[in-house]
Amino acid sequence: MAVDIGGTFTDGVAALSPAGRIWVAKAPTTPADPGEAVSTVILSLLRQVAASMGASAPKLAEVVHGTTLITNTLIERSGARTGLITTRGMRDALDIGREWRYDIYDLEIVLPQPLVAPDCRIEVDERLNARGEVIIPLEAPELERMTQAIAALKVDSVAVSLLHSYVNDAHEKQIRDTLKAAMPDLAVSISSELAREIKEFERTSTTAANAYVKPLAAQYLEELESRIEAIQSGIALRVMVSSGGFTSARSGAESPILLLESGPAAGVLSALNTARQNDEHHVLAFDMGGTTAKACVAVGGEAPVAHSFECARVARFKRGSGLPILIPSIDLIEIGAGGGSIAYCNRLGLLNIGPESSGSVPGPACYASGGTDATVTDADLLLGYLNPANFLGGEMPLSTGLAEAAMGRLAQTLGVSPTDAAWGIYNMVNENMASAARIHIAENGHDPREFSMVATGGAGPVHAMEVARKLRIPRVLIPIAAGAGSCLGMLAAPARVDRAWSNPQLLGDTNWELVRQSLQKLKQAAEVELASAGAGEVEWRIGAEMRYYGQGAEVPVSIPYASVDERTGAVILKTFEEQYQKLYGRLVPNARPQVITWRLTGRAHSRGHHFEWGDDRVKNTPPSRDSRAIYLPLKRAYGKVEVFDRYSVKPGQTLAGPLILEEKESTIVVPINAEVTILPDLTVAISIKEYE
Amino acid sequence: MDTLLTEKRAAANAQAAERPSTFDPIEIEILWKRLISVVDEASAAFVRTCFSTLVRDGNDFAIVLTDAQGRSLAQSSMSLPGFIGCLPATVRYFLQKYPAPTMQPGDVFITNDPWKGSGHIHDVTTVTPIFRNNRVVAFAAVVSHLPDIGGKLRSNSSREIYEEGLQIPPMKLLDAGEPNRILIEIMTQNIRVPDQGMGDIWAQVAGCKMMADRLQGLLDSVDFEALGAEVRLRSENAMREAIRRIPDGVYRSTVQHDGFESPIIIQCKLTVKGDEIDIDYDGSSPQQPRAVNVVPIYAFAYTVYGLKALLCPDIPNNEGSFLPISTRAPLGSLFNPTYPAASGGRSAIGHLLPAAVFKALADVLPEKVWATGSPNSSMTMSGEYRGKRFAVVNFLNAGQGATARRRGFSALSFPGNLGNTPVEMMETLAPIRVIRREIRRGSEGLGLHNGGAGISFEYEILPDASDVTASFLMTQLKSAPLGLAGGGSGKQGRLVLNGQEVDPTEPRVLKAGDRVLMETAGGGAYGIAKR
Repeated sequence: MAVDIGGTFTDGVAALSPAGRIWVAKAPTTPADPGEAVSTVILSLLRQVAASMGASAPKLAEVVHGTTLITNTLIERSGARTGLITTRGMRDALDIGREWRYDIYDLEIVLPQPLVAPDCRIEVDERLNARGEVIIPLEAPELERMTQAIAALKVDSVAVSLLHSYVNDAHEKQIRDTLKAAMPDLAVSISSELAREIKEFERTSTTAANAYVKPLAAQYLEELESRIEAIQSGIALRVMVSSGGFTSARSGAESPILLLESGPAAGVLSALNTARQNDEHHVLAFDMGGTTAKACVAVGGEAPVAHSFECARVARFKRGSGLPILIPSIDLIEIGAGGGSIAYCNRLGLLNIGPESSGSVPGPACYASGGTDATVTDADLLLGYLNPANFLGGEMPLSTGLAEAAMGRLAQTLGVSPTDAAWGIYNMVNENMASAARIHIAENGHDPREFSMVATGGAGPVHAMEVARKLRIPRVLIPIAAGAGSCLGMLAAPARVDRAWSNPQLLGDTNWELVRQSLQKLKQAAEVELASAGAGEVEWRIGAEMRYYGQGAEVPVSIPYASVDERTGAVILKTFEEQYQKLYGRLVPNARPQVITWRLTGRAHSRGHHFEWGDDRVKNTPPSRDSRAIYLPLKRAYGKVEVFDRYSVKPGQTLAGPLILEEKESTIVVPINAEVTILPDLTVAISIKEYE
Repeated sequence: MDTLLTEKRAAANAQAAERPSTFDPIEIEILWKRLISVVDEASAAFVRTCFSTLVRDGNDFAIVLTDAQGRSLAQSSMSLPGFIGCLPATVRYFLQKYPAPTMQPGDVFITNDPWKGSGHIHDVTTVTPIFRNNRVVAFAAVVSHLPDIGGKLRSNSSREIYEEGLQIPPMKLLDAGEPNRILIEIMTQNIRVPDQGMGDIWAQVAGCKMMADRLQGLLDSVDFEALGAEVRLRSENAMREAIRRIPDGVYRSTVQHDGFESPIIIQCKLTVKGDEIDIDYDGSSPQQPRAVNVVPIYAFAYTVYGLKALLCPDIPNNEGSFLPISTRAPLGSLFNPTYPAASGGRSAIGHLLPAAVFKALADVLPEKVWATGSPNSSMTMSGEYRGKRFAVVNFLNAGQGATARRRGFSALSFPGNLGNTPVEMMETLAPIRVIRREIRRGSEGLGLHNGGAGISFEYEILPDASDVTASFLMTQLKSAPLGLAGGGSGKQGRLVLNGQEVDPTEPRVLKAGDRVLMETAGGGAYGIAKR
């Protein structure tokens, strides 16, 4: 089973292994005790499985888990009272930050507040130099003084971040051991274990964030384990980390900051699974929910991993307005608004959307819960894309009248017709998302025309076709249970192992024998781990994070695994130069290429997991349900199209767009000429036939 | 003689308003965002490929997209305010010297002329023409502060530009893709750390190339000239509308800078007339035989920046925002110096211009203005350590002024947007040990809302280091940042060498074990504290 806690709903999917039958459950998230919704979902899934399979229902084998708990704790500032230990002279690192402003014109700018209050910071006398050599040793009396000072602060958690600990972690470890011995209940986080990178502000920020969420995360994961134990004893609980791998509940509790983006990361894995099943190598994973839309460019079945990002931004789309976090994370970018985002008329009389969201309360105007602003969902409804009687399978009827009223008010201030306003909203969010995705694709050196899009999330299939069309992406895939995409991703993730060895060295000075031995050693350990995860055939690759000496950012290079010697250097150099030229146009004359970090990746060969409905959703009723008028973007007018029931269309069936396919968790909107095919894995594939 | 600091350009408003817009409000917003994102992308490429911490950590750069006439259309979001105003003018200088029809794909132009660039020779600008159907349709322009430009270290003590380093007149760096080997050899020979300096210039070229590539899609799908006219008009109209809300009149302020033997005076006479603002700096100090002279375009850039932040911060900036504003100063004065005036430390003066504007308008916009804060300081060091040459520039920001609603920001860059260098990076690049970098508590001005505090930054030269040449550009050491509406002043900054307070004007030779303390000023408070 996979369970994912989101902002509004907790989703769960049970999968029967290896057949791939799935059951889906949803329950409102319970913020006060998130484990409660998890229990509800697990119990519901067990009931469903029992109902479908009766006595032959197997026992639960494992629970995998993703959560937004960590992100929310940071956004809401509801974490532990946290202390910070720094090298003497550095206690203000979190206040000083980088000293720049993320918006140069805003005189009312609001800066992110540090997670550790000024009176909760302790300086210690110790010092390393940039080469990691000890200049001032950390002596016992100083450790004693520090321990007493921390005890007096009455904090629940402590972050330790010393200068140059990225080269030498001895002092940080000494501090941790001392504190642990004196105060066993105190949570201690050290920077050298979380973010081994030069730049003290960002490393300290990461460590403070980890410390801030640690007591809560540890308690939560422990409770979750005991709840699962109560349901059925001896069940392993694994949690997803931002980089798309898994870790045990215990190590998740130790480094909870690694769980920060676990939900969105799982969504990408789901998209990759669909891609593998259908032999797509260039994938844009597109996920659009209630408050945000995210995208990820994945080529060759792999999700790219970035090593820094920001969380808890003060200004949502402004880079630099959040807390910097240096952890490996699937390189997702927030590309725009979600269904609940509010449209308004700005000072120039121009239409703007978001980042303000109506949330789940009051929600879009059409939810009839008191919302009066026109939102993206209201526009979707008025354009005919959503069926007011079939939202969430009819559990939540929508009010067209209230949507019209809200849109009418907006249209009046803009001086356009209500239809044009609705179309403007739909078109603008799509354009914004397309333009953010276009940059992201371009930054990675690719051409959108070589891509397929895999769309997930409640609003994803409603907007995917137009975003793809604007990007000139020819094919869109909508996987089974797109609304519970992240859970499927956790179940489908192929076993993989990533190992890294940091050894900054000019390519010309590399000791190849040393590299060969190091990579071989990493591979041996990785083979054992993969075998224990039941991986059969494994694909091995060597990665090198490269740059020219003196630069601050790397270009990742990857080559198939082979025994390493001087010739490897030539292959790596050639690959680096090709990549560099592709990205930046011209090589740097006389510059010296350098490898910063070597990587070894082993990934179980996987054609992807096949899923099919475990319950009785699939009906033998005729697939065509109805017809209704929807707005046709290229005609700039409404036109009648056929409406199908997704659960009744059969693999191999081909339909011609424009059309609508309705399902419980979402609606697939094909407002243009397109060939719509149902693939063997029940993925709906749409080939776009017109662009302008 | 009063001289306009920028060429007077006809207001586009009158003619443009007649032309019906071909873009609807929705379409224009989408295309406008795309223009800005193209520039942000170029900026990201520049940062990723640069070689110096000045760009990467210091943020001491800007990238701008202009149209074929050199009018700014969009800028990188995190740009340094002063550069944004200068870059379009640089493009226009190149257009004068190399008319557009003579330009070829693969050309890249370069200069560090302070009058044509961004005010001091330490900033190098490159400009890349962007072509479509063999015609120049736009320019990518980027300027960044190089870690070194030869000559004496950047110091206020320079009396003429000749002392300050290598001058690069407007010329070609790449000629149809072919590198100008002579120029490159001369530059490589002159720069103390050529790997970093030339590396940054190749990174500039990469950033501009990225901009040109990404713009092609947009050029394919829209009438680029019409789009440019439209966004400029919208920004211009927004600025005019904001100016109209200020009552017509003449508003004055005086701001004082430390100066040398005597203080430097900035006299600001700001005239609002209808939807235009003219700022006259007549009465300010004369041109100085020190490196603090502010070239006209730089004075214009920071004046416009202050007005833009004050009047319409939320509308994307471009040439249109500049049009309703003019600045002037007599030739031979501090804000209109003549060649060969030195200008390496011009930012200490130029960065006070937004404060002068705020002070002048404090009575009509009391809810918006900030009390005075302090511009940034910096330290530049050069020498050899463990057989390797080093040359580093590190910034140090200060306390900012409070407003009617809140206290001032501590340790924040304003009106520049310069970042600090991580301590760990500083210690990797130069033979120093940082003793402390902390908030300078007690330096803030006191009042109803206190000012922000400055920074205390203390370091020592490593015991095994040989002599280090060091130059300190520090500001507000004698004159304190003033409060507003009765608020108290911030505490002045100071430079302390081995326990002795010293004057930062002259560069110094630091010995192993020498200890330096730089303390930056606190910001002024707002209002009188309640009992």
